[in-house]
Amino acid sequence: MEILKCEKVRKVYGSGGNQTAALDGIDLSVDRGEFVAILGASGSGKSTLLHILGSVDKPTSGTVIIDGTDLSRLNQTQAAVFRRRKVGLVYQFYNLIPTLTARKNILMPLALDKKKPNQEYFDTITGSLGIADKLDLLPNQLSGGQQQRVAIARSLIYRPALLLADEPTGNLDQKNSKEVVDMLKLSNRNLKQTILLITHDEKVALAAERIVTLEDGRIVSDERRR
Amino acid sequence: MWRDYSSGYMKNNRTAGLSVTIAAFISALLLSLLCGLFYNAWKYEAERIELEEGGWHSRIIGELAAEDIETIRNFANVGDAAVNEKGRKGTEPTVDIYFSDKRAVFTDTPRIAQQLGIPQERIVYNYELLAMYLIRGPGDTAPRLLFPLFLLITAAASFSLIIIIHNAFAVSMNARIHQFGIFSSIGATPKQIRACLLQEAAVLCAGPLIAGTLLGIAGSAGLLYLVDAYIGSDVPGRHPLIFGYHPLVLALTLLVTIITIWISAWLPARRLSRLTPLETIKNTGELQLKRRKNPRLLPLLFGIEGELAGSALKAQKKALRTASLSLIVSFLAFALMQCFFSLSRISTRETYFERYQDVWDIMVTVKDTSVDEFEEADRIRGLDDVESAVVYQKAAAKRLIPEEEMSEDMKSFGGFSGAPASYVTQADGGWLVNAPIIIMDDRSFAAYCEQIGTAPRLDGAVILNQIRDVTNPDFRHPVFMPYIKTPGAHENAVSALRRSGSEETPAGPAAMPSGSHMETTAEVPVLAYTQEVPALREEYATLDYYELVHFIPASLWKEIKGQIGGTEADSYICVRAGEDAALEELNALQDEIARLADGKYAIEQENRIQKYETNNRQIQGMMTVFGAFCVLLALIGIGNVFSNTLGFVRQRRREFARYMSVGLTPKELKKMFCIEAVVIAGRPILISLPIVVAAIGFMLKASYMEIGVFLTDAPFIPILLFMLAILASVALAYYLAWRGVRRIRLAEVLRDDTMM
Repeated sequence: MEILKCEKVRKVYGSGGNQTAALDGIDLSVDRGEFVAILGASGSGKSTLLHILGSVDKPTSGTVIIDGTDLSRLNQTQAAVFRRRKVGLVYQFYNLIPTLTARKNILMPLALDKKKPNQEYFDTITGSLGIADKLDLLPNQLSGGQQQRVAIARSLIYRPALLLADEPTGNLDQKNSKEVVDMLKLSNRNLKQTILLITHDEKVALAAERIVTLEDGRIVSDERRR
Repeated sequence: MWRDYSSGYMKNNRTAGLSVTIAAFISALLLSLLCGLFYNAWKYEAERIELEEGGWHSRIIGELAAEDIETIRNFANVGDAAVNEKGRKGTEPTVDIYFSDKRAVFTDTPRIAQQLGIPQERIVYNYELLAMYLIRGPGDTAPRLLFPLFLLITAAASFSLIIIIHNAFAVSMNARIHQFGIFSSIGATPKQIRACLLQEAAVLCAGPLIAGTLLGIAGSAGLLYLVDAYIGSDVPGRHPLIFGYHPLVLALTLLVTIITIWISAWLPARRLSRLTPLETIKNTGELQLKRRKNPRLLPLLFGIEGELAGSALKAQKKALRTASLSLIVSFLAFALMQCFFSLSRISTRETYFERYQDVWDIMVTVKDTSVDEFEEADRIRGLDDVESAVVYQKAAAKRLIPEEEMSEDMKSFGGFSGAPASYVTQADGGWLVNAPIIIMDDRSFAAYCEQIGTAPRLDGAVILNQIRDVTNPDFRHPVFMPYIKTPGAHENAVSALRRSGSEETPAGPAAMPSGSHMETTAEVPVLAYTQEVPALREEYATLDYYELVHFIPASLWKEIKGQIGGTEADSYICVRAGEDAALEELNALQDEIARLADGKYAIEQENRIQKYETNNRQIQGMMTVFGAFCVLLALIGIGNVFSNTLGFVRQRRREFARYMSVGLTPKELKKMFCIEAVVIAGRPILISLPIVVAAIGFMLKASYMEIGVFLTDAPFIPILLFMLAILASVALAYYLAWRGVRRIRLAEVLRDDTMM
């Protein structure tokens, strides 16, 4: 069942003769429960694609539909609510709120909706991510790997339709990188979570079941590995 | 977000909102002070009107029967109705009506009059008092600017505060722009971010708002006490100023302050909440230059540190706008105020105290008494220490001046061609001018005649025969010339004085003898034409250059007052004490005069030394009040510099770390800081000084004062002190920021990636 559909997505920066196309006619479809890696070198347009899929940015033309919602029709408030409920974002630099404990960081998307967490689910994700005993610590009291796990837990807390991970291992050492990738695989398998992993690292991309390669804003290959 | 995020953040970052707290406190203080002062100014004015005019709202002229008054009282909106024997219209009795609902005055009074069968022309409204309650009637054409002025000043203050303090909120909010970017990326809506920021602002400002408001009320009470005690206490007959406060004023003050603070917080909160997550997450909090623009002067003067300081100042331009603006305005206002008051002091001293120094020591106003009714003149003259005492009264009359009577000098500057119609009117046979009459007691008049070398007589007038050269606007150095031609010694000169307000009467002594004209005209023999005035504290021809002043004895006035009328109700006694009389002696003399008048006359007195001191105190008081406002303005600017520099360490730590990493020594960094401080404090002064100089030049030109005279009394020291205070405050702010920068650990900052 298709959860993400991009049609002729184009993103142009600049104006007049100074225009640069970051994305140039992207057609992409992702089914529910898939683990897709978007692979590309620096400047290939992968971060731009992530921002558009995360409703952080809008395409210049084309349509993006996630879980039945056309992102191009959302205003700023609707886009924020969409991000909160339908998309989980994981960044390279974690982007945790430094003044909140790990627990509060994880629960923040629910708090924004004034919702109480499902304790069982909360325990499941924090347990499986290995941060159950770190929940009352502040981000600066955690290691980089632990901070990234908290960020992943936060992105999963709302059971989003799509988890978008932007170079989640880019700031981690090899051991922590492997652990984070394993966590993503685990959530994909156990929670049937659809994941779009954006990376420039081929080794990390190999964790996904499908690798889409971007080059100069275009998809140059779309390969299913199993 | 409040429970989960803001409460914890504020608990753990108490100093982060310091600038916001200060800004809110200053806003509340200033607005509360203004509202308190305005309310009391309004209250004072309303009380004054009630004392002078009465507290009635409308009045019906004429006598009414008791049952009619009862009928008026029975009207729904009427609170009371009472007979006033001495109404406004002369001696005719009136019925004063007091409304319980003042707004009904213009609809109900005509109905009352109609019901009682009284013509509408017999209704009078107390427009002045009603306007104080914002009740305006169609017949009230006076401008009544008090309320609009208050509203305008409050609105201007509120607007200025928004301009000034919103930056404090912006700095505080922008420090966490990255965090709000994260919130946005995980789904916080702009509304939620805005609400969170405004909630934080509300919590930060609640305490300062209450403290500032209370202090503002106390400040206004203190200020009014000072004004009453030091400025107005010596003014005779003045209604005392008693501080008052009303719950509605408090409510209004809080409302205006809350709106001001809310808008100040809402502006940056709105901007921040509208940023996309991309914009906010990318924000590193570092100072950025939008365009590369090389500073020229600072590198030239201070080298690389100057260039770095110049770039940093350019990048902070927006954040420091408040500081620059308020420092410029405060310095400009302070310097101009000092110069203006110095100029005013010099002018008053020259034109009033020095000119009249030898003319009077004590001035007595005898209420509702004509000069011939006052019988204590000789007893006053007989008091020890009294050198002379002139009792006089003033009256207004008109005098026709035919062309042939005009002096050649006067004709040379155009005669009456440039005279305003409000003072001079052309009539058959000449021009009708004002002829103020100074009616002196007989003894003083005789003495005056001797002073000017005329044989004393009590049946004629002395004419002040001088007119200012109206073509020369220099009022400080006027040139006088003869007004009218002096008749030959063998001619019996007469002056035909007319009742003021009977200007339509045909002209010339020749046309006079017919009966009705004689009723409003009196021919008085002219004893002398002179350019020498009696020793009285009076100014002549200050507004109306064309008036022809007549000095006449009281005995003559007795005979002609029936024709001319126009006397003022009060008389005056100009008393000169002995040579170099001290304040204590004058006070004692005043007590003696009061004793003589006690029970017979209602008098008000003032003495020259006391008045001089009061005048100085008034100027001092006004300078204190205006100075306080200037200091408050400067405080806002300095507060902004503090909030900005104390936020440095956080906002500019990466910038400083980079400088350090490329080898900038602490000494060079310190130099860069000093340059920034000097520019911030010096720029407002440099911008303001030429404006101040130009303004002084203009003021000197307009007041015809020589620059040398001004320079001897110029307020160099207060201006210099104010300048140094600004410099010292900015230096202190930068010193504190420098201490913070010194503690930065280079390795830690450069490793810290959460800033990205």
